Amino acid sequence: MQGVLGAFHEIDSAVHAVEDLKKQKFGDITVYTPTPRHEFEHALGHGPSKVRIFTLIFGLAGVTFGYWIPIWMSDYWPLVVGGKPIASWVPFTILGFEVMVLIGGLATVFAMFGFAGIPRLTMTVGYDARFSGGHFGIWVVTDPDRVEDAMNILKKHGAEEVRRER
Amino acid sequence: MATTATPLPKGQRPNIPSALVRFPAVKDYEQVDREIAGTLGPSLGWFAALGIAILCLLIGATTWTYQIHEGLGAAGYQPPVMWGVYIITFVFWVGIGHAGTLISAILYLFRAGFRTSIYRLSEAMTVFAVMTAGLFPILHLGRPWKFFYLIPYPNWRLLWPNPKSPLVWDVFAILTYLTISSTFLYIGLIPDIAILRDREKNPIRKAILSQLALGWRNSDREWRHFTRAYLFLAAFATPLVLSVHSVVSFDFAMALTPGWHATIFPPYFVAGAIFSGIGMVFTIAIPLRKAFKLEHYITLNDLDAAAKLCLFTSCVVGLAYLTEFQVAWMSGNKFEQDYFWNRVFGQWAWAAWIMLICNMVLPMSLWSQKLRRNPKWLFILSLFINLGMWFERFVIVVPSLSHEFEPWQWGSYRPTWVDYGILLGSFGWFFMWFLLFIKQLPVMAMSEIKEVVPARMRHSHDPSMHVAEGIIHPDETGAAH
Repeated sequence: MQGVLGAFHEIDSAVHAVEDLKKQKFGDITVYTPTPRHEFEHALGHGPSKVRIFTLIFGLAGVTFGYWIPIWMSDYWPLVVGGKPIASWVPFTILGFEVMVLIGGLATVFAMFGFAGIPRLTMTVGYDARFSGGHFGIWVVTDPDRVEDAMNILKKHGAEEVRRER
Repeated sequence: MATTATPLPKGQRPNIPSALVRFPAVKDYEQVDREIAGTLGPSLGWFAALGIAILCLLIGATTWTYQIHEGLGAAGYQPPVMWGVYIITFVFWVGIGHAGTLISAILYLFRAGFRTSIYRLSEAMTVFAVMTAGLFPILHLGRPWKFFYLIPYPNWRLLWPNPKSPLVWDVFAILTYLTISSTFLYIGLIPDIAILRDREKNPIRKAILSQLALGWRNSDREWRHFTRAYLFLAAFATPLVLSVHSVVSFDFAMALTPGWHATIFPPYFVAGAIFSGIGMVFTIAIPLRKAFKLEHYITLNDLDAAAKLCLFTSCVVGLAYLTEFQVAWMSGNKFEQDYFWNRVFGQWAWAAWIMLICNMVLPMSLWSQKLRRNPKWLFILSLFINLGMWFERFVIVVPSLSHEFEPWQWGSYRPTWVDYGILLGSFGWFFMWFLLFIKQLPVMAMSEIKEVVPARMRHSHDPSMHVAEGIIHPDETGAAH
């Protein structure tokens, strides 16, 4: 993978650079920002995260499992307690709810890890320690013949530093 | 971590307050990193506090060893009062653990701006408080090495525990709460650990922080999924907060004992838990903002807003106390009426009045804005709230057990030095973890504070434009601190 990395100190410059790169049909653009900013969301135009699908599926699986555990436990050795039915759904709702939260919550986190591509063992190319501080970064993956164009766009919009990485 | 927000239509006020209102003394991202990461260096005061916490923990551990040797009788348990300081302190710490998730999850969903600066320390407080609470069911066992009997699994005849029992619900609720709260804390910490990793010069520390940061790079892709996941975790954690203390209240409400068998218990316990948790947040946050010189992050406005929440929950708790009396009075149940009379005017009047004064009367001072914005008063009040909330659980547990249906069953209870030693040890355990946390990881969410601080612009615009557009009210532009 090779491309161009630009570091910006001002958010508006970085946003304009992203808009310009999109206009020039540079496809694979990654923005580094110390904090989530809606300006980049709009400039990049990505759709909503699919994490929610996993939250829903595993939440439903969790609540099903959470009801199934006490029903199976009660049915395995049936004992009437307090005159209640063997499978008493009202008290079992507590277990159903807790297991839903547990499995749904953990699935959300693992889905986030999967979609975000973490844990990452190496920092790979296209990152600078400044991007967690006060700088914004733009990493453009591009063919060698368009590297100069990308560098020029980044410089034009006021990048503090522009460098090639591979 | 706030969700990436969409720009608002012209003229509509933002739901996340701007830096002009929230942090007027914080100018840029670099200042946030510098000042908050700067709190991580250990100091003499920190070593002294940690030493005291470890000493308290050692006293508790020694006392526990004595109790294991002598048996639970050493802790003052005798029929009919077989629940005492340990269950009281268990409920106390679970309650403390509620404010963290309330502040980090519920106030996040409500977009309450004041949570930004205090939610990290509240979340850490939650995790350590639940870890402390989790010790007490084990401390309360005569044979603590059989602690794994608490986990629902079958005996050798394949008979499973009764899933209709509140004690089984407790295990599920508290373990889920501990897992989700710890996950919530860790997920929120990842971007901040990445900041520390990128600033770190020591190679060993850098390697450890790199592992903990999971290779986080602040990319748009990471943030996009992160903010969604954080939102859903908050949405899960919100009903979880309400459920956990409801389940703890079922430990009492499912019994027929006078004073316990009441449908008001779940909301009463939840409100009490939030109230006590906010009390502990004040106890921790006020000295911390002073010691770390972070008064411009945890501003008077933040304390004022948290104090309003404290006042509100105090009113709810007070209403629950009075409703209990009304229910007993109108029930026509002689045992219930006698129990409540005994609670307030009889054998346990001293404890009940400590509770009522600390939890109902003193917090009424917070109707005064001057006192809400006085950190010294808030700190003193928080100590009374902690005391009052411990006594609330004392008043729930002991008077009921010592004054049940038959007069021949009535008895008394007096905690022994073993109870006090273990109580002290629990505070030592809690503060030891908390003090270790605040010097290893940032006590405030740096990346979330940066969301509020305006980003540097090449073409800067006049903030008065926001006033003209109606985004900021003219009164809010300067009167923040």
